Amino acid sequence: MAAATEMRESEELRRTSLRYLWMHNRDWTQMAEEGEPQIIETGKGVRVTDSEGRSWIDVNGGYNSVNVGYGRTEIAQAAYEQMRKLSYFPQGTTTEPTARLAAKLAELAPGSLSRVFPVSGGSEANETALKIARAYYKRIGEPGRYKVISRVGSYHGMTAGVLWLGGSPYQPRHDYEPAYPGMLHAPQPNAYRYGAGYDTPSECAVHAASEIARLIEFHGPKTVAAVIAEPIAIPQGAVTPGDEYWPMLRQICDKYGVLLIADEVICGFGRAGKMFALEHWGVVPDIMTVAKGVVSSYLPLAAAIAREEVAAVFAGEDNILRHVFTAAGHPVSAAAALRNIQIIEEEGLVDNAAQVGAYFKEQLEGLMVDHPLVGDVRGLGMLLAVELVSDRKTKAGFAAADRVPERLNEKFKKHGLIFRVNSNILNIGPPLCITRDEVDEIVHAIDLSLWEMEGEMGIARMT
Amino acid sequence: MAMANISETESVRRDALAHLWMHNADWATMAEEGGPPIMVEGNGVRVTDSEGRVWIDAHGGYASVNAGYGHTEIADAMLAQMERLTYFPQGTTTAPMIRLAEKVGELAPGDLERVWPVSGGSEANETAIKIARAYHRRRGDNGRYKIISRRGSYHGATGGVMWLGASSSLGDFEPAMPGMLYAPQPGEYRRDCGGATAAECDERCADAIEDLILLHSPSTVAAFIAEPVASGLAPPAPEYWRKARDICDRYGVLLIADEVVTGFGRTGKMFAMEHFGVTADIMTVAKGITSSYLPLAATVASTRVADAFAGEDNVFRQALTFGGHPVTAAVALKNIEIIERDGLVDNAAQVGEYFLELLHELKAEHKIVGDVRGIGLLLGLELVSDRAAKAPFAEGLQVGKRLTRKMREQGVIMRAGGDRVTLGPPLCITRDDVDEIVAAMDRAIGEIEGEVGGC
Repeated sequence: MAAATEMRESEELRRTSLRYLWMHNRDWTQMAEEGEPQIIETGKGVRVTDSEGRSWIDVNGGYNSVNVGYGRTEIAQAAYEQMRKLSYFPQGTTTEPTARLAAKLAELAPGSLSRVFPVSGGSEANETALKIARAYYKRIGEPGRYKVISRVGSYHGMTAGVLWLGGSPYQPRHDYEPAYPGMLHAPQPNAYRYGAGYDTPSECAVHAASEIARLIEFHGPKTVAAVIAEPIAIPQGAVTPGDEYWPMLRQICDKYGVLLIADEVICGFGRAGKMFALEHWGVVPDIMTVAKGVVSSYLPLAAAIAREEVAAVFAGEDNILRHVFTAAGHPVSAAAALRNIQIIEEEGLVDNAAQVGAYFKEQLEGLMVDHPLVGDVRGLGMLLAVELVSDRKTKAGFAAADRVPERLNEKFKKHGLIFRVNSNILNIGPPLCITRDEVDEIVHAIDLSLWEMEGEMGIARMT
Repeated sequence: MAMANISETESVRRDALAHLWMHNADWATMAEEGGPPIMVEGNGVRVTDSEGRVWIDAHGGYASVNAGYGHTEIADAMLAQMERLTYFPQGTTTAPMIRLAEKVGELAPGDLERVWPVSGGSEANETAIKIARAYHRRRGDNGRYKIISRRGSYHGATGGVMWLGASSSLGDFEPAMPGMLYAPQPGEYRRDCGGATAAECDERCADAIEDLILLHSPSTVAAFIAEPVASGLAPPAPEYWRKARDICDRYGVLLIADEVVTGFGRTGKMFAMEHFGVTADIMTVAKGITSSYLPLAATVASTRVADAFAGEDNVFRQALTFGGHPVTAAVALKNIEIIERDGLVDNAAQVGEYFLELLHELKAEHKIVGDVRGIGLLLGLELVSDRAAKAPFAEGLQVGKRLTRKMREQGVIMRAGGDRVTLGPPLCITRDDVDEIVAAMDRAIGEIEGEVGGC
């Protein structure tokens, strides 16, 4: 009886969702045919449970965003206590958790990154970074600098100022043309796909970085405001540049007087095995953006963090940055973020990401031995990717008619994984509290799924 | 020793001055002025700072705290959801998000019922514009991308929407987004479009939308976006909105109503477009949907618009991590329940009317009050140096800043942009609270008149 009632309610919820809700990159007619959407009800650690009582391992970790894992009631408690005291106040005056969070972020952030503009999501953070960069040059008397260099295959957000940064065929945006002015695109330092002659990470890194210098020269340094890049880029699958790349970017930006913006929205807060991924290369950007892991997605919060030297030009009544969001610096989100960061630090989740991440990567590399479909395994910490190919030698992908992403999605689902794929690249970003046993479970499910795919596609196992 | 003894408040203030980048303020000036007040508590229309001082918030946190501060039941709803599920993205979904979409779809006028949840008003308007541009492309009308907004309106702070509604303070962020067209702002006081009466002026302002569409060719225009009632201005004559709707229909242009400020009771109706009996093709909401207890906003499309995106090949491509956050949705549901249960929409209408009456009395008393206006609890006041000429004060006199400061001295939080004041208190405000605010304004404006020689 109880189960039947629950079933009816879950079915009613599903129908209501199909009628009223507009979900991400999906449409309601197709979802109706597939018995979707799935409704998630509870979560703990790396697992979530749906409305039909089925438990799943969340290999996506939300959107690479639930760093401490699900179900940490301490964070709920911290948010609750703050909301009972003061539910909100805008950033004309301020509140204790917001001021404390700013100080905490300044303490954690590398170098002189120390002035924090809090916002509610990664897009807003990157928009804020670009506005700071453009306004910065107006303040220092170089008003001609407005162009922004990003990299093909990067992603920096969905609002119009950042939507045209980066770009990938898997996230088409021609629906929203015309593009924002002043967007320049450099190559991605992806050694696996860069092309002949640049096969090592090092060769590729040096060339890709030099291309940024060439772009600046071609357009004229006095027209370029900023270079924005993720330390490790997601859309092309955890592209980890050779060690030369980031130090070169820093040098190039310094040489031409261009601001360097590091988008640590995904990489930050331990994801890549360091608190911030740029620490792998000892580089300090001029502006850094954070989101996701700063609050493990328990509530919406993000921030743009500027170096003191950059922020300094906005001090004084005549120099103010005119930029406001209602929910920016929300005290309840800030209280949750503070508690979240405390968990990351106290429980050594950054180290866990490095260690278990290394183990995870080894296991994935192990799949290459058996599976001809696996072309490349890459990434750092708990930001990993597997690139599938139909032919290892030519690195060819798959025909759309083969519906490889759709079929993989079905198989991962069958094996108990929440692991969404929309290309030939599998992006892995589970909570950082993941254990080796849980990694084994995931790798086993991927292994089975690949066997099935190869069987169906008539691909012989490696010998 | 002295360092060890600094109070908690001083330590928070030091953190804020050293590391926080606050809104339209700078840390150097703030430090000179003793640093920002630190708010620690809120209840109804009042907040308390760390030094125990109680303030009445006539500003309502950017006109967003519709239900008022301190509803512990909203905190309880948050805790209950967080204890079940803290988050899950919108590839799959969650019960509170489904229920919220249903609730908003039911409340929204006409066939506005397909809900794309986001985290703030800027994202909601960005989404609306992306939907509008993609909608025309789905229908093979590929050339439509221009967006008409109105001079003096405000639609957000991100790259696409900050260029909607022209303002002179955007120079820092040039170059602008392509395809931005600007129509005049209706408004009885300034009468941008001339005319013998307010109604005539507003009709001309609507006609100007048509002129813009014809000048640029209808085949290039995607949407017209406007607030039903712009913050701090008078509501337009009903004919304005009826005409705007007709014009949009005639030329196949989508009508986007930005109800970020006006929605959820602010103007004395659940949505302000209800005053005019006009339904938009896309509506955006934020602020009052959660009374700012947590960040949440949404873009609500009509069935007709949303249907263009049904089917595998027509999917609207957009994702954002926090869009449709289940905890924020649970909070929004409880907040809407309070707005309905406590009759806050009616209270906004009634107390708003009383508030406006008192502002008219204030205007009768003080020559420097050029105009008072608004509807519900979205009210405005404009200070002038010469009433007949409607002339503003010299910028150097900083009249708006003086007023804000004098109000603060009397324990009222209020915000003035130049000579214009916008009031947007919580909708649970009482007549007694209004009396208190207006009495403080009366004193403050009287003092300013003495200082700047207005009388």
